[in-house]
Amino acid sequence: MANLLWLQGGACSGNTMSFLNAEEPSACDLVTDFGINILWHPSLGMELGDNLKGLLQSCISGATPLDIFVFEGSVVNAPDGTGEWNRFAGRPMKDWVRELSDVAQFVVALGDCATYGGIPAMAPNPSASKGMQFLKREHGGFLGTDFAAKSGLPVINIPGCPCHPDWVTQILVAVASGRAGDLTLDEFQRPKTFFSSFTQTGCTRNMHFAYKVSATEFGQRKGCLFYDLGCRGPMTHSPCNRILWNRQSSKTRAGMPCLGCTEPEFPFFDLEPGTLFKTQTVMGVPKDLPTGVDKTGYVKLTGAAKAASPQWAEEDMFVV
Amino acid sequence: MSDDAIRAEAEDLLKNGLQTDVFPRADDQTQIQEIIYQLQNGDGSLKERLVVGGFTLDPVSHEGLEQACETCMYYLVHRRYCELPELDVPVEAEWSCRLWRI
Ligand code: SF4
Ligand code: SF4
Ligand code: SF4
Repeated sequence: MANLLWLQGGACSGNTMSFLNAEEPSACDLVTDFGINILWHPSLGMELGDNLKGLLQSCISGATPLDIFVFEGSVVNAPDGTGEWNRFAGRPMKDWVRELSDVAQFVVALGDCATYGGIPAMAPNPSASKGMQFLKREHGGFLGTDFAAKSGLPVINIPGCPCHPDWVTQILVAVASGRAGDLTLDEFQRPKTFFSSFTQTGCTRNMHFAYKVSATEFGQRKGCLFYDLGCRGPMTHSPCNRILWNRQSSKTRAGMPCLGCTEPEFPFFDLEPGTLFKTQTVMGVPKDLPTGVDKTGYVKLTGAAKAASPQWAEEDMFVV
Repeated sequence: MSDDAIRAEAEDLLKNGLQTDVFPRADDQTQIQEIIYQLQNGDGSLKERLVVGGFTLDPVSHEGLEQACETCMYYLVHRRYCELPELDVPVEAEWSCRLWRI
Protein backbone atom coordinates (compact mmCIF):
# COMPACT_ATOMS: atom_id res chain seq x y z
CA MET A 1 0.00 0.00 0.00
CA ALA A 2 1.43 3.40 -0.99
CA ASN A 3 0.06 6.54 0.61
CA LEU A 4 -0.52 9.38 -1.83
CA LEU A 5 -1.30 12.98 -0.95
CA TRP A 6 -2.26 15.50 -3.64
CA LEU A 7 -2.34 19.27 -3.10
CA GLN A 8 -2.99 22.22 -5.43
CA GLY A 9 -1.25 25.60 -5.50
CA GLY A 10 -1.64 28.27 -8.19
CA ALA A 11 -3.66 26.02 -10.47
CA CYS A 12 -6.78 25.77 -12.60
CA SER A 13 -7.48 22.12 -11.63
CA GLY A 14 -6.88 21.07 -15.23
CA ASN A 15 -4.53 18.28 -14.21
CA THR A 16 -7.07 16.97 -11.73
CA MET A 17 -9.72 16.93 -14.44
CA SER A 18 -7.30 15.19 -16.76
CA PHE A 19 -6.34 12.64 -14.06
CA LEU A 20 -9.98 11.77 -13.41
CA ASN A 21 -10.31 10.87 -17.11
CA ALA A 22 -7.47 8.36 -16.98
CA GLU A 23 -8.19 5.03 -18.59
CA GLU A 24 -5.07 2.91 -18.60
CA PRO A 25 -5.05 2.59 -15.67
CA SER A 26 -8.00 4.61 -14.38
CA ALA A 27 -8.01 6.59 -11.14
CA CYS A 28 -10.14 3.82 -9.60
CA ASP A 29 -7.70 1.13 -10.79
CA LEU A 30 -4.97 2.92 -8.87
CA VAL A 31 -6.85 2.24 -5.67
CA THR A 32 -8.35 -1.18 -6.36
CA ASP A 33 -5.58 -2.86 -8.38
CA PHE A 34 -2.36 -1.04 -7.62
CA GLY A 35 -2.55 -0.48 -3.89
CA ILE A 36 -2.50 3.32 -3.93
CA ASN A 37 -4.17 4.81 -0.90
CA ILE A 38 -5.27 8.36 -1.67
CA LEU A 39 -4.91 10.11 1.69
CA TRP A 40 -6.38 13.33 0.36
CA HIS A 41 -7.05 15.05 -2.95
CA PRO A 42 -8.74 18.45 -3.47
CA SER A 43 -11.66 16.90 -5.40
CA LEU A 44 -11.82 13.51 -3.71
CA GLY A 45 -10.70 14.10 -0.12
CA MET A 46 -13.31 13.81 2.65
CA GLU A 47 -11.50 15.66 5.44
CA LEU A 48 -12.12 19.35 6.04
CA GLY A 49 -10.79 21.99 8.42
CA ASP A 50 -8.99 20.68 11.49
CA ASN A 51 -9.27 17.08 10.35
CA LEU A 52 -7.37 17.91 7.19
CA LYS A 53 -4.81 19.93 9.09
CA GLY A 54 -4.34 16.98 11.43
CA LEU A 55 -3.82 14.64 8.48
CA LEU A 56 -1.18 16.92 6.94
CA GLN A 57 0.58 17.25 10.27
CA SER A 58 0.59 13.52 10.81
CA CYS A 59 2.33 13.13 7.41
CA ILE A 60 4.94 15.69 8.41
CA SER A 61 5.54 14.07 11.79
CA GLY A 62 5.93 10.66 10.17
CA ALA A 63 2.95 9.16 12.02
CA THR A 64 1.38 8.64 8.58
CA PRO A 65 4.06 7.56 6.10
CA LEU A 66 3.93 9.70 2.96
CA ASP A 67 5.03 7.69 -0.06
CA ILE A 68 3.98 9.98 -2.89
CA PHE A 69 3.41 13.71 -2.66
CA VAL A 70 1.75 15.06 -5.80
CA PHE A 71 1.65 18.79 -6.36
CA GLU A 72 -0.42 20.54 -9.01
CA GLY A 73 -0.08 24.27 -9.69
CA SER A 74 2.63 26.80 -9.07
CA VAL A 75 4.18 27.50 -5.67
CA VAL A 76 3.01 31.04 -4.88
CA ASN A 77 5.55 33.16 -2.98
CA ALA A 78 3.90 36.60 -3.08
CA PRO A 79 3.75 38.95 -1.32
CA ASP A 80 7.38 39.50 -0.41
CA GLY A 81 8.26 35.83 -0.18
CA THR A 82 5.59 35.07 2.43
CA GLY A 83 3.27 33.00 0.22
CA GLU A 84 0.27 34.58 1.97
CA TRP A 85 -1.56 34.96 -1.34
CA ASN A 86 -2.12 31.22 -1.37
CA ARG A 87 -3.14 30.12 2.11
CA PHE A 88 -4.30 26.57 2.77
CA ALA A 89 -5.29 24.81 5.97
CA GLY A 90 -4.30 27.75 8.13
CA ARG A 91 -0.93 28.71 6.65
CA PRO A 92 0.80 29.55 3.36
CA MET A 93 0.63 26.61 0.97
CA LYS A 94 4.35 26.94 0.30
CA ASP A 95 5.10 25.97 3.91
CA TRP A 96 3.08 22.76 3.55
CA VAL A 97 4.84 22.07 0.25
CA ARG A 98 8.29 22.41 1.78
CA GLU A 99 7.59 20.23 4.80
CA LEU A 100 5.66 17.56 2.93
CA SER A 101 8.35 17.36 0.21
CA ASP A 102 10.96 16.81 2.92
CA VAL A 103 9.20 13.74 4.29
CA ALA A 104 7.87 12.18 1.07
CA GLN A 105 9.55 9.21 -0.58
CA PHE A 106 8.65 10.62 -4.00
CA VAL A 107 7.59 14.09 -5.09
CA VAL A 108 5.69 14.40 -8.37
CA ALA A 109 4.98 17.78 -10.00
CA LEU A 110 1.99 17.69 -12.35
CA GLY A 111 1.39 20.11 -15.18
CA ASP A 112 3.38 23.12 -16.36
CA CYS A 113 2.61 25.29 -13.33
CA ALA A 114 4.05 22.78 -10.87
CA THR A 115 6.96 21.82 -13.10
CA TYR A 116 8.14 25.16 -14.50
CA GLY A 117 5.83 27.83 -13.06
CA GLY A 118 3.62 27.74 -16.18
CA ILE A 119 1.14 30.49 -16.93
CA PRO A 120 1.19 32.05 -13.41
CA ALA A 121 4.97 32.55 -13.70
CA MET A 122 4.73 34.51 -16.96
CA ALA A 123 6.34 37.93 -16.77
CA PRO A 124 5.74 40.02 -14.74
CA ASN A 125 4.82 37.08 -12.47
CA PRO A 126 2.78 39.05 -9.92
CA SER A 127 2.24 36.02 -7.68
CA ALA A 128 6.01 35.31 -7.59
CA SER A 129 5.18 31.80 -8.75
CA LYS A 130 7.78 29.07 -9.15
CA GLY A 131 7.71 25.48 -10.24
CA MET A 132 8.71 22.87 -7.68
CA GLN A 133 12.28 22.54 -8.95
CA PHE A 134 12.39 24.79 -12.02
CA LEU A 135 11.44 28.31 -12.93
CA LYS A 136 10.96 28.02 -16.67
CA ARG A 137 14.33 26.69 -17.90
CA GLU A 138 16.23 27.60 -14.78
CA HIS A 139 16.96 24.75 -12.39
CA GLY A 140 16.17 25.42 -8.73
CA GLY A 141 12.57 26.58 -8.53
CA PHE A 142 10.96 26.53 -5.09
CA LEU A 143 12.70 23.51 -3.57
CA GLY A 144 16.18 24.35 -4.86
CA THR A 145 18.71 22.58 -7.06
CA ASP A 146 19.86 20.18 -4.35
CA PHE A 147 16.47 18.89 -3.37
CA ALA A 148 15.97 15.15 -3.47
CA ALA A 149 13.04 13.26 -2.02
CA LYS A 150 13.70 10.46 0.49
CA SER A 151 13.99 7.94 -2.34
CA GLY A 152 16.93 9.95 -3.67
CA LEU A 153 15.07 11.09 -6.80
CA PRO A 154 14.54 14.79 -7.48
CA VAL A 155 11.03 16.02 -8.23
CA ILE A 156 9.57 13.91 -11.02
CA ASN A 157 8.19 16.43 -13.51
CA ILE A 158 5.19 15.54 -15.65
CA PRO A 159 4.56 18.71 -17.66
CA GLY A 160 1.67 19.54 -19.98
CA CYS A 161 -1.20 21.97 -19.93
CA PRO A 162 -2.71 19.73 -18.74
CA CYS A 163 -0.66 16.57 -18.74
CA HIS A 164 -2.16 13.49 -20.32
CA PRO A 165 -3.99 11.35 -17.74
CA ASP A 166 -2.12 8.19 -18.66
CA TRP A 167 1.28 9.86 -18.18
CA VAL A 168 0.22 10.54 -14.58
CA THR A 169 -1.29 7.18 -13.70
CA GLN A 170 1.48 5.18 -15.36
CA ILE A 171 4.15 7.04 -13.42
CA LEU A 172 2.20 6.71 -10.17
CA VAL A 173 1.83 2.97 -10.73
CA ALA A 174 5.55 2.62 -11.48
CA VAL A 175 6.41 4.42 -8.27
CA ALA A 176 3.80 2.64 -6.14
CA SER A 177 4.81 -0.78 -7.42
CA GLY A 178 8.47 -0.31 -6.59
CA ARG A 179 9.63 0.22 -10.18
CA ALA A 180 10.77 3.82 -9.72
CA GLY A 181 14.32 2.54 -10.28
CA ASP A 182 13.39 1.98 -13.93
CA LEU A 183 12.58 5.66 -14.38
CA THR A 184 15.19 7.76 -16.09
CA LEU A 185 14.68 11.49 -16.20
CA ASP A 186 15.80 14.01 -18.81
CA GLU A 187 17.41 17.41 -18.19
CA PHE A 188 14.05 18.83 -17.09
CA GLN A 189 13.42 15.82 -14.82
CA ARG A 190 10.74 14.48 -17.16
CA PRO A 191 10.43 10.68 -17.44
CA LYS A 192 12.29 9.76 -20.62
CA THR A 193 9.78 7.07 -21.42
CA PHE A 194 7.33 9.81 -22.37
CA PHE A 195 9.45 12.81 -23.21
CA SER A 196 12.29 11.59 -25.46
CA SER A 197 10.30 11.61 -28.68
CA PHE A 198 8.57 14.58 -30.27
CA THR A 199 4.90 15.47 -30.61
CA GLN A 200 5.58 14.94 -34.29
CA THR A 201 6.48 11.27 -33.70
CA GLY A 202 3.41 9.45 -34.93
CA CYS A 203 1.62 12.48 -36.32
CA THR A 204 -0.54 11.52 -39.30
CA ARG A 205 0.66 14.66 -41.10
CA ASN A 206 4.27 13.59 -41.27
CA MET A 207 4.05 12.86 -44.99
CA HIS A 208 2.85 16.40 -45.54
CA PHE A 209 5.68 17.66 -43.39
CA ALA A 210 8.12 15.69 -45.53
CA TYR A 211 6.69 16.90 -48.82
CA LYS A 212 6.21 20.41 -47.52
CA VAL A 213 2.51 20.57 -48.16
CA SER A 214 1.00 23.11 -45.81
CA ALA A 215 -2.34 23.34 -44.07
CA THR A 216 -3.55 26.91 -44.25
CA GLU A 217 -6.63 26.63 -42.01
CA PHE A 218 -7.51 24.72 -38.83
CA GLY A 219 -9.06 21.31 -39.27
CA GLN A 220 -8.04 20.81 -42.90
CA ARG A 221 -7.78 17.15 -43.80
CA LYS A 222 -4.42 17.53 -45.44
CA GLY A 223 -1.26 19.47 -44.94
CA CYS A 224 1.22 19.94 -42.13
CA LEU A 225 0.64 22.68 -39.57
CA PHE A 226 4.31 23.62 -39.17
CA TYR A 227 4.71 25.90 -42.16
CA ASP A 228 1.90 28.35 -41.59
CA LEU A 229 -0.08 27.63 -38.43
CA GLY A 230 2.72 27.65 -35.88
CA CYS A 231 2.83 23.93 -35.03
CA ARG A 232 5.62 23.24 -32.52
CA GLY A 233 5.43 19.46 -33.01
CA PRO A 234 8.97 19.12 -34.39
CA MET A 235 10.54 20.86 -31.38
CA THR A 236 8.30 19.70 -28.54
CA HIS A 237 8.98 16.61 -26.47
CA SER A 238 5.73 14.77 -25.82
CA PRO A 239 4.10 11.46 -26.74
CA CYS A 240 0.83 13.10 -27.88
CA ASN A 241 0.78 11.13 -31.13
CA ARG A 242 1.86 7.85 -29.50
CA ILE A 243 -0.44 7.91 -26.46
CA LEU A 244 -3.53 9.45 -27.97
CA TRP A 245 -5.89 11.83 -26.18
CA ASN A 246 -9.20 10.20 -25.25
CA ARG A 247 -7.60 7.16 -26.90
CA GLN A 248 -8.83 8.66 -30.19
CA SER A 249 -6.78 11.44 -31.59
CA SER A 250 -4.42 14.30 -30.95
CA LYS A 251 -4.38 18.00 -31.52
CA THR A 252 -2.32 17.76 -34.69
CA ARG A 253 -4.27 14.81 -36.07
CA ALA A 254 -7.42 16.89 -35.69
CA GLY A 255 -5.83 19.83 -37.49
CA MET A 256 -4.80 22.04 -34.57
CA PRO A 257 -1.16 23.05 -34.12
CA CYS A 258 0.81 21.79 -31.13
CA LEU A 259 1.44 24.72 -28.78
CA GLY A 260 4.50 23.15 -27.20
CA CYS A 261 2.89 22.80 -23.79
CA THR A 262 5.40 20.31 -22.38
CA GLU A 263 8.36 22.66 -22.81
CA PRO A 264 9.52 25.15 -20.15
CA GLU A 265 8.89 28.22 -22.34
CA PHE A 266 5.19 27.50 -22.73
CA PRO A 267 3.05 29.60 -23.25
CA PHE A 268 5.74 31.35 -25.30
CA PHE A 269 4.80 34.82 -24.18
CA ASP A 270 7.62 36.28 -26.26
CA LEU A 271 5.62 35.57 -29.42
CA GLU A 272 4.57 38.66 -31.28
CA PRO A 273 0.87 39.50 -30.88
CA GLY A 274 -1.26 37.52 -33.30
CA THR A 275 1.33 34.82 -33.90
CA LEU A 276 0.24 32.09 -31.51
CA PHE A 277 -1.23 30.21 -34.43
CA LYS A 278 1.06 31.65 -37.06
CA THR A 279 4.52 30.40 -37.86
CA GLN A 280 6.90 33.27 -37.21
CA THR A 281 9.32 33.85 -40.05
CA VAL A 282 12.39 35.95 -40.59
CA MET A 283 12.97 36.77 -44.27
CA GLY A 284 10.50 34.05 -45.16
CA VAL A 285 12.23 31.28 -43.16
CA PRO A 286 10.66 29.91 -39.93
CA LYS A 287 12.22 31.49 -36.84
CA ASP A 288 12.04 28.20 -34.90
CA LEU A 289 13.28 25.33 -37.02
CA PRO A 290 12.80 21.63 -36.18
CA THR A 291 15.24 20.57 -33.45
CA GLY A 292 18.69 19.88 -34.91
CA VAL A 293 18.04 21.45 -38.35
CA ASP A 294 19.92 24.55 -39.55
CA LYS A 295 18.66 27.21 -41.93
CA THR A 296 20.74 26.19 -44.96
CA GLY A 297 19.80 22.54 -44.59
CA TYR A 298 16.17 23.47 -44.11
CA VAL A 299 16.02 25.60 -47.24
CA LYS A 300 17.75 22.95 -49.37
CA LEU A 301 15.67 20.10 -48.04
CA THR A 302 12.34 21.83 -48.33
CA GLY A 303 13.04 23.01 -51.87
CA ALA A 304 13.89 19.46 -52.96
CA ALA A 305 11.03 17.86 -51.03
CA LYS A 306 8.52 20.26 -52.50
CA ALA A 307 9.68 19.50 -56.03
CA ALA A 308 9.25 15.78 -55.36
CA SER A 309 5.84 15.99 -53.68
CA PRO A 310 3.26 13.59 -55.14
CA GLN A 311 -0.18 14.70 -56.23
CA TRP A 312 -2.00 12.85 -53.44
CA ALA A 313 -0.23 14.99 -50.86
CA GLU A 314 -2.16 17.98 -52.16
CA GLU A 315 -5.53 16.29 -51.82
CA ASP A 316 -7.72 15.78 -48.74
CA MET A 317 -6.84 12.79 -46.62
CA PHE A 318 -8.62 11.24 -43.68
CA VAL A 319 -6.48 12.37 -40.81
CA VAL A 320 -8.62 12.01 -37.68
CA MET B 1 -13.42 30.80 -64.67
CA SER B 2 -10.95 27.94 -64.93
CA ASP B 3 -7.52 28.05 -63.29
CA ASP B 4 -5.93 28.25 -66.75
CA ALA B 5 -8.02 31.24 -67.75
CA ILE B 6 -7.28 33.14 -64.53
CA ARG B 7 -3.59 32.32 -64.77
CA ALA B 8 -3.52 33.60 -68.35
CA GLU B 9 -5.30 36.80 -67.33
CA ALA B 10 -2.80 37.38 -64.51
CA GLU B 11 0.09 36.76 -66.86
CA ASP B 12 -1.30 39.24 -69.39
CA LEU B 13 -1.69 41.92 -66.75
CA LEU B 14 1.88 41.45 -65.55
CA LYS B 15 3.33 41.29 -69.07
CA ASN B 16 1.49 44.46 -70.04
CA GLY B 17 3.24 46.46 -67.38
CA LEU B 18 1.00 46.23 -64.31
CA GLN B 19 3.03 47.94 -61.56
CA THR B 20 3.01 45.78 -58.42
CA ASP B 21 4.39 46.41 -54.93
CA VAL B 22 7.43 44.14 -55.23
CA PHE B 23 9.16 45.83 -52.29
CA PRO B 24 9.35 45.92 -49.35
CA ARG B 25 9.28 42.14 -49.02
CA ALA B 26 7.40 40.72 -46.03
CA ASP B 27 10.46 40.10 -43.88
CA ASP B 28 8.86 40.08 -40.46
CA GLN B 29 5.52 39.51 -38.82
CA THR B 30 4.50 43.17 -38.82
CA GLN B 31 5.08 43.49 -42.55
CA ILE B 32 3.23 40.26 -43.22
CA GLN B 33 0.25 41.42 -41.15
CA GLU B 34 0.15 44.75 -42.96
CA ILE B 35 0.02 43.15 -46.39
CA ILE B 36 -2.50 40.55 -45.27
CA TYR B 37 -4.64 43.31 -43.76
CA GLN B 38 -4.57 45.22 -47.03
CA LEU B 39 -5.62 42.11 -48.93
CA GLN B 40 -8.39 41.28 -46.49
CA ASN B 41 -9.81 44.77 -46.72
CA GLY B 42 -9.51 45.30 -50.45
CA ASP B 43 -11.99 44.58 -53.23
CA GLY B 44 -10.59 41.09 -53.79
CA SER B 45 -10.12 41.62 -57.55
CA LEU B 46 -7.38 39.73 -59.35
CA LYS B 47 -5.65 42.98 -60.26
CA GLU B 48 -5.57 44.16 -56.67
CA ARG B 49 -4.24 40.84 -55.37
CA LEU B 50 -1.43 40.99 -57.93
CA VAL B 51 -0.54 44.58 -57.00
CA VAL B 52 -0.69 44.26 -53.22
CA GLY B 53 1.00 40.84 -53.32
CA GLY B 54 3.85 42.34 -55.35
CA PHE B 55 3.70 39.69 -58.08
CA THR B 56 6.45 39.26 -60.65
CA LEU B 57 6.80 36.80 -63.53
CA ASP B 58 10.34 35.89 -62.41
CA PRO B 59 11.76 34.90 -59.04
CA VAL B 60 12.99 37.75 -56.85
CA SER B 61 16.32 37.25 -55.10
CA HIS B 62 16.18 38.68 -51.60
CA GLU B 63 18.74 38.39 -48.80
CA GLY B 64 20.46 35.50 -50.55
CA LEU B 65 17.31 33.48 -51.14
CA GLU B 66 15.57 33.03 -54.45
CA GLN B 67 11.90 33.59 -53.74
CA ALA B 68 9.91 31.66 -56.33
CA CYS B 69 6.45 30.18 -55.99
CA GLU B 70 8.03 26.81 -56.73
CA THR B 71 9.62 26.66 -53.27
CA CYS B 72 6.96 28.60 -51.38
CA MET B 73 4.95 26.68 -48.85
CA TYR B 74 1.68 28.07 -50.17
CA TYR B 75 2.33 26.64 -53.64
CA LEU B 76 0.56 23.49 -54.79
CA VAL B 77 2.98 21.90 -57.24
CA HIS B 78 0.52 19.82 -59.22
CA ARG B 79 -2.29 22.34 -59.43
CA ARG B 80 0.18 25.25 -59.94
CA TYR B 81 -1.80 27.22 -57.43
CA CYS B 82 -1.18 29.62 -54.54
CA GLU B 83 -3.17 28.43 -51.56
CA LEU B 84 -2.59 31.41 -49.30
CA PRO B 85 -6.25 32.22 -48.49
CA GLU B 86 -5.81 35.96 -49.13
CA LEU B 87 -4.26 35.38 -52.58
CA ASP B 88 -5.98 32.15 -53.68
CA VAL B 89 -4.80 32.37 -57.26
CA PRO B 90 -3.39 30.11 -60.00
CA VAL B 91 0.31 30.87 -60.56
CA GLU B 92 3.40 29.49 -62.32
CA ALA B 93 6.39 27.90 -60.60
CA GLU B 94 8.74 30.73 -61.57
CA TRP B 95 6.47 33.56 -60.43
CA SER B 96 7.06 35.29 -57.16
CA CYS B 97 5.36 37.52 -54.63
CA ARG B 98 6.44 39.30 -51.47
CA LEU B 99 4.54 36.97 -49.13
CA TRP B 100 6.83 34.07 -50.08
CA ARG B 101 7.83 31.83 -47.23
CA ILE B 102 9.61 28.51 -47.15
S1 SF4 C 1 1.25 18.88 -38.00
FE1 SF4 C 1 2.85 19.43 -36.49
S2 SF4 C 1 3.35 17.50 -35.51
FE2 SF4 C 1 2.25 16.96 -37.36
S3 SF4 C 1 3.81 16.65 -38.94
FE3 SF4 C 1 3.23 18.80 -39.05
S4 SF4 C 1 4.69 19.88 -37.72
FE4 SF4 C 1 4.76 17.72 -37.21
S1 SF4 D 1 -0.02 18.39 -28.89
FE1 SF4 D 1 1.47 19.87 -28.05
S2 SF4 D 1 0.20 21.46 -27.08
FE2 SF4 D 1 -1.11 19.65 -27.39
S3 SF4 D 1 -0.95 18.49 -25.49
FE3 SF4 D 1 0.62 17.67 -26.85
S4 SF4 D 1 2.49 18.81 -26.36
FE4 SF4 D 1 0.76 19.94 -25.50
S1 SF4 E 1 2.55 33.29 -51.50
FE1 SF4 E 1 4.05 31.91 -52.37
S2 SF4 E 1 2.92 30.62 -53.83
FE2 SF4 E 1 1.67 32.39 -53.33
S3 SF4 E 1 2.14 33.82 -54.96
FE3 SF4 E 1 3.46 34.33 -53.24
S4 SF4 E 1 5.36 33.22 -53.62
FE4 SF4 E 1 3.77 32.34 -54.96
